Amino acid sequence: MKLQNFHSRRRRCLIHESESGRSSFPAAGQSGSRHFAPGVGSMDYYASQSGLRKWNDGYKVAAACTALLLCLVLNRPEISAAVFISMGIVNVRANLVPLRDYIGFLKIPIAFLALGSVAIACGISAEPLGDYRIWLHWRYLYLTREGIRQAMELFFKAMGSVSAMYFLALSTSAGQLAGVLRKAHVPKIIVELMNMIYRFIFILTKVQKSMKIAAVSRLGYMDFKTSCRSFGQTGGNLFLLSLRKADTYYDAMVSRGYEGEFFFWEEEKPVKFWQAGILALYVLGLLFLYFLVK
Amino acid sequence: MTKLQKKSVILCAAFAAAFAAAPAANAMHIMEGYLPLQFCIAWGVVCIPFLVMGFFSIRNRLKENRKNITILAMSGAFIFVISSLKIPSVTGSCSHMTGTGLGAILFGPGAVSVLGIIVLTFQAILLAHGGLTTLGANTFSMAVAGPFLSYGVYKLCRKCRVNRRVSVFLAAALGDLFTYCVTSVQLAVAYPSDQGGILASLGKFLAVFAPTQLPLAVIEGLLTMIIMITLENYAESELKNVGYLEN
Repeated sequence: MKLQNFHSRRRRCLIHESESGRSSFPAAGQSGSRHFAPGVGSMDYYASQSGLRKWNDGYKVAAACTALLLCLVLNRPEISAAVFISMGIVNVRANLVPLRDYIGFLKIPIAFLALGSVAIACGISAEPLGDYRIWLHWRYLYLTREGIRQAMELFFKAMGSVSAMYFLALSTSAGQLAGVLRKAHVPKIIVELMNMIYRFIFILTKVQKSMKIAAVSRLGYMDFKTSCRSFGQTGGNLFLLSLRKADTYYDAMVSRGYEGEFFFWEEEKPVKFWQAGILALYVLGLLFLYFLVK
Repeated sequence: MTKLQKKSVILCAAFAAAFAAAPAANAMHIMEGYLPLQFCIAWGVVCIPFLVMGFFSIRNRLKENRKNITILAMSGAFIFVISSLKIPSVTGSCSHMTGTGLGAILFGPGAVSVLGIIVLTFQAILLAHGGLTTLGANTFSMAVAGPFLSYGVYKLCRKCRVNRRVSVFLAAALGDLFTYCVTSVQLAVAYPSDQGGILASLGKFLAVFAPTQLPLAVIEGLLTMIIMITLENYAESELKNVGYLEN
């Protein structure tokens, strides 16, 4: 029973790989455990299995950027909340990210947000200021209503923009993004480097993982001191290996006719009329909401 | 509340703040949507001269030898992987290196600025560290300010005949610290406090991020030093090719 389960999962994984046209890194989400640490592979995995992967990449970039800019420019908590909720629904329903994993993604920036908001809402002064204060035996730590309102607004704005960025990250893989940049006439060298770095990241991550297992099985990463040693040595060896591999890859590329430019097979994904309509309606809806609450 | 109760509440709050900070050790990436639009654009513009400089330095290296493209790409991937790894830290929480100090010592600060902006884009897309609108600000703090300072410190230490290992440690640790200071400045300029303006706000941001960033800077320095020792032992010829170990 277990074996059968494993095989079916493996087959599903293979189907995803062939569908997306590239051999994606075995994603953390496939490993069977529901609680996975968001790693390098997981975002990429969701992008390649997204329900929107057949949509035009440029359109998706434009849509995400529009939502992001509206969030920043209109600067109203209601708009941000609307973007947060709508993008959340899109990510779960259309990008097919399980709700639980999506919540896991949302937790990543929370820590930064918590600290940053505290720094904005609180103040320290010698005189008793603000609406709420604690005497710290040296200075007052005070909170103002204005500061709390500002921090709350910032919280909503940041969460709205983050979910708009997640929409892009979970629907478009980094390779496709490089394709969009190439069409936008970003210098060739940069796009080339992006494409290569994107591929090499997965190779190096894999090598690093096996190095870590090797180190752990030889009593590395035992306590803080050995952890530092093992980490440093793994890092050094990783660099060495990456340079040696780089040589080999260049030779392999040249022998296949590389002359300073990559040509990837790209699916033609024209923007359909109704897709553009959805985006226009979305923007109009947000603007309408803005004038409604203003 | 009695005095003792008040004290314990404050102590608990301080502890909670310190521990809430612990998982946020990658906090030096300013998150998406955190900066107002004009600051996003301004920091992006500030980065442009450095990026153009880096672009030309990369182009010259490719003109010298086309083979350098795979080496540069591997270096970028290396910076990404090193900065996405959980590093051992005292609190036992997850924290990350910036990796840019190491990159600056190995490849020079110009190349790292261009590699840095690519790596930061991938960190936003693949790991959700940082963001697209804050890319300019993050690039300035992590791929321009930090590496340039690291490189300067390293060169200065070598000029003053400081031990190579000590100079690598100082370069990486100070570069990390500088990144943290620049990020705090960026946040403070965008959100000055109503009493005391930018300076007071800067103090607050520095204080809030200090509990994680100060030990992290030391750890980053240590790890970079160990990596360099390993490299000097095993990869002399490669290091010469990259340009480190010139004498």
